[in-house]
Amino acid sequence: MRKFNQSMMSRRAALKMGAGFAVAGLAGSGASAETDISRATVTGSKEITSGAKFKRSGKLRIGVSNGFSGNTWRTECMASLRKEAAKHPEIADLIIVDGQGDITKQVNDIQDLVSQQVDGLLCIPNSSTAVAPALARAMRANIPVVPFNLEVSGDQWCSYIGTDLAKKGVAKAKFLNEALGGKGKIVAMGGLPGNAGTAAEWAASKAVLSKDIEVLAMKDAYWQEDRAKVLMADLIVAYPQIDAVWCDGGGEGAGATKALLAAGRKLVPVTDDDYNGMLKLFAQHHADNPNFKLCLISEPTWESTLAVRTILALLAGKDVPKRQIVEPVPISNANYQQYLKPNLPDGVYVDSDLSDEELAKIFH
Amino acid sequence: MSDRAVAEAGRGTHGWLRALAMRGPVWIAVVLLFLLASSVSPAFMSLEEIRNIFQVTAFLGVTAIGQTIALMVGGIDLSIGGMVTLTNVLATSVMDGHNGAILPAVGVCLLAGVLVGLVNGLLIAYLRVTPMIATLSTNSILFGVALVYTGGAPHGSAAPLFVPIGQGHIAGVPASGLSWIVVALVMAFVLTRTVFGRWVYAVGANPVAARLMGVPVQQVLLVAYMLSSLMAVLGSLLITAYIGNPSLGIGDQFLLTSVAAAVVGGTALTGGIGSIISTIGGALFITEANSFTNIAHMSTGTQYIVQGAIIALSVLVYRFVLHAN
Repeated sequence: MRKFNQSMMSRRAALKMGAGFAVAGLAGSGASAETDISRATVTGSKEITSGAKFKRSGKLRIGVSNGFSGNTWRTECMASLRKEAAKHPEIADLIIVDGQGDITKQVNDIQDLVSQQVDGLLCIPNSSTAVAPALARAMRANIPVVPFNLEVSGDQWCSYIGTDLAKKGVAKAKFLNEALGGKGKIVAMGGLPGNAGTAAEWAASKAVLSKDIEVLAMKDAYWQEDRAKVLMADLIVAYPQIDAVWCDGGGEGAGATKALLAAGRKLVPVTDDDYNGMLKLFAQHHADNPNFKLCLISEPTWESTLAVRTILALLAGKDVPKRQIVEPVPISNANYQQYLKPNLPDGVYVDSDLSDEELAKIFH
Repeated sequence: MSDRAVAEAGRGTHGWLRALAMRGPVWIAVVLLFLLASSVSPAFMSLEEIRNIFQVTAFLGVTAIGQTIALMVGGIDLSIGGMVTLTNVLATSVMDGHNGAILPAVGVCLLAGVLVGLVNGLLIAYLRVTPMIATLSTNSILFGVALVYTGGAPHGSAAPLFVPIGQGHIAGVPASGLSWIVVALVMAFVLTRTVFGRWVYAVGANPVAARLMGVPVQQVLLVAYMLSSLMAVLGSLLITAYIGNPSLGIGDQFLLTSVAAAVVGGTALTGGIGSIISTIGGALFITEANSFTNIAHMSTGTQYIVQGAIIALSVLVYRFVLHAN
């Protein structure tokens, strides 16, 4: 795994900076540690992509290929993207296309955007490999490409923005080691069958889990609360002792916790992401369940905000780091109240750069 | 087969097995899989797990009733996934956690079910669009409507008084399972004891012959697809009560499993053959297979291989049993 620890900045610092934000800062200078509610850090790689050849003047047309749009994470992500784009008058046109979860459609979408001669291209890929040739074609047409959320294979793109899944996995394992005193039995649930993200995070976790922590099961819960609840109900019957639940996100932790509640079991430590429903359950039940502990690490929906700023930096001719790794601060028992949104729906991802009013409008 | 014949078949060494076979080979598969799963993981035989299975099979079970009817008239309903999702987001947004809004929410969802079934039925019966294409298109439209309606960010939740339908128990028996069985028995009665039921079989077996015999084929198709959509609505209301929240991906799992449950239950993809009671067995079988692979120590890959093998084997078992009979 490549290391990306050359320079760091807080999320607020990153978000505060205008177009061309981090480019120089992330690439070369030292760390900044300004704190805000998320306190996430963004670490830029030493490797740089030069923006000189992408420099444009005048009004810009930005294409966005969103691989899928049928869940609340994507909705918030695109809302952040639109909000950020609206702040930059140089963006005359923002063309967002939806791959509908279909790899072939997304490849066609990207080709269409290239044919339309957009000035810059943002992309959340459906597959690390399948979209790589289409993105490479865009690069050959001198259109800068910024993929985010899922890294694209090869190097035919300018700057990737996302979290380090291995680091997340390690952090979750360390939390479980500590919460269980290095000993116990856990069950794990991941997202869609065979997805690379869950696999990477889980592999990193397993490598660090204490040898006296037994993994009873690792199953697919499709990042869905309902599926996680049905799955957990089976696991509860099969295993009289479950000391903790490892989840990689998308409401799985909330589903598992609801199944424990339905079975009349005491609640246990849970790892998950920043799904509001999980925080609400914690707020409601932690007083009666002293072992109920949280380690929630987001995949921030505001990666799209950084993506917009990165593409604008490139189009302004500035250099950007080849990789910008976002490291969110885990949500825990100690700080969950800073993130909890009691008046917003369970499906909200709380590590957001949208205000509560903006989120309320989206989840109307 | 009359009850008396079943009772007679029930005598003898393996009487119960034969009696089950007479009711439909799927029941043998259900029992055998249960025994296999229990031998691998004794927890499977616990009352708690049996309750679990009964509780969660209800969602698939009710939607599979609708699919069975669609298959029996010689069609298929691929809009079930979209119908389940749309119902889930409609129900939670209209209820929004308020008991007073339960009736309007259920009413709106049932109305949506009737409308969707009507559209499917009109496309298939009157405009002669192939059922697969018609319902696949409707499925896409329904998911799109759910996305537009929610803006991709569904809100709301099930009302406290609505939740027990999915999560509660009556005398220790899951309420969702009981609701499912009641709906199944009503639909089984409709299909086996009413004129409409006989028309369904006739239309599925041979629509031309049915028309010549005076069966109102188009109206039967229309009602069949309306029932299918309504069953998807009811199944969705049960899972909505179970989880309490909206989810745009909630319906996906029912699209193919509803077909699998009906077919494993013995419903023919070619129409005219099928039974609601056997579909109960089919749904139980599919859920058992899922639970078994959840409980047994299996990697994700192995889980899929085992599930596929179990379904294929079950079909072989039927063939063997049918042959033996």
